[in-house]
Amino acid sequence: MPPLTVALALMIGAAGAIAGGLGTALGIGGGVFLVPFLTLALGFPLKSAAAISLATVIATSCTVTLHRAGHQLINLRLGMVLEVATTAGSLLGGITAQFVGETLLERLFGVVAIAIALVMVTRLRRRNILSDPGADPGRFGGRFHDEESGRVVTYRIKRMPVALAASFVAGNVSSLLGIGGGVIKVPILNAWCGMPMRAAAATSALMIGVTATGGAIIYYGHGDLQALVAAPAVLGVQLGSWAGMKVTRHASVKWLKLLMAAVLAVVAVLMITRSLR
Amino acid sequence: MSAKSAPAGLEQMIGGVLRWGTVLSSTCLAVGLVMALAGYQAEAARLLAEAGLLVLIATPAGRVVVSVVEYARERDWLFVGLTLVVLGALGGSVAAAFFF
Repeated sequence: MPPLTVALALMIGAAGAIAGGLGTALGIGGGVFLVPFLTLALGFPLKSAAAISLATVIATSCTVTLHRAGHQLINLRLGMVLEVATTAGSLLGGITAQFVGETLLERLFGVVAIAIALVMVTRLRRRNILSDPGADPGRFGGRFHDEESGRVVTYRIKRMPVALAASFVAGNVSSLLGIGGGVIKVPILNAWCGMPMRAAAATSALMIGVTATGGAIIYYGHGDLQALVAAPAVLGVQLGSWAGMKVTRHASVKWLKLLMAAVLAVVAVLMITRSLR
Repeated sequence: MSAKSAPAGLEQMIGGVLRWGTVLSSTCLAVGLVMALAGYQAEAARLLAEAGLLVLIATPAGRVVVSVVEYARERDWLFVGLTLVVLGALGGSVAAAFFF
């Protein structure tokens, strides 16, 4: 790993700010962007990059959640249930990471990213909203004020086992790859479980903090998480998250999905190319 | 029957825990980083950044603890159980970090 200089700190901070800004609106943290940057552009080993990234995921999760708390967008009950699956997955993944090679991890990352980009593109126009806003949201559904349409909208959760399975997988790859796992949960909650994009993003933002914590603890214990290198990344991501929330508050969901799909595709190609060298 | 929304107070309490955790950890990380880059008190700088990092990692765990307590106060035993499992898994990570 290169020594920490002012220039390096500024670069890491700027990358963090961009990653945080891009990731925030989608409830995915910025790890999915930050890990490739740290490994590909700065030559960090994947384990250090993943560890730093997990720290930034915790930071985004905290920042976003504390700003969204009290706006009904976060589905606390659903989040707490799915967290059981993500933390279990993360615990197993964190242990696996110690035994799985770097090349395999990079390929995994690439394949997962491409799959998710495809899911996002096929679902640009779908909205998961019950036609009657007064309808019963059911046990895990919810209701919130939608900024884009200016109305109160209601949704129900379908296919709870799919949501739980996705959360488990999200937790598992989370610690392996240093991402929050939101990048898997949000599209699946949105595509198959009936959750509107914004609610899925806000609920995911809540969950990724706890998911990333499991992995971060393990990396920290193994000496792979260095505080001074993580510091500029965390601070940059905090700044980016805050700015991202301001900017994307009124952005249309369709463009957010497109943006996410595009970045994911680029990242996937980069990661796979690297793993083939 | 409408969804039992989470206790209204819980969301606010979670927000509070996250706010303090974020402010405290960011401050430590920022001061530590600036000191380290300025070459001032290298060891103190590293310790400060380390403390900031640990506070950051502890913050989501603190949020889960607050949830356990609040659900227990509401006598919502299912959610007490679920949040305790999450806390247990985090404990498992601590064990994995130091014993594997």
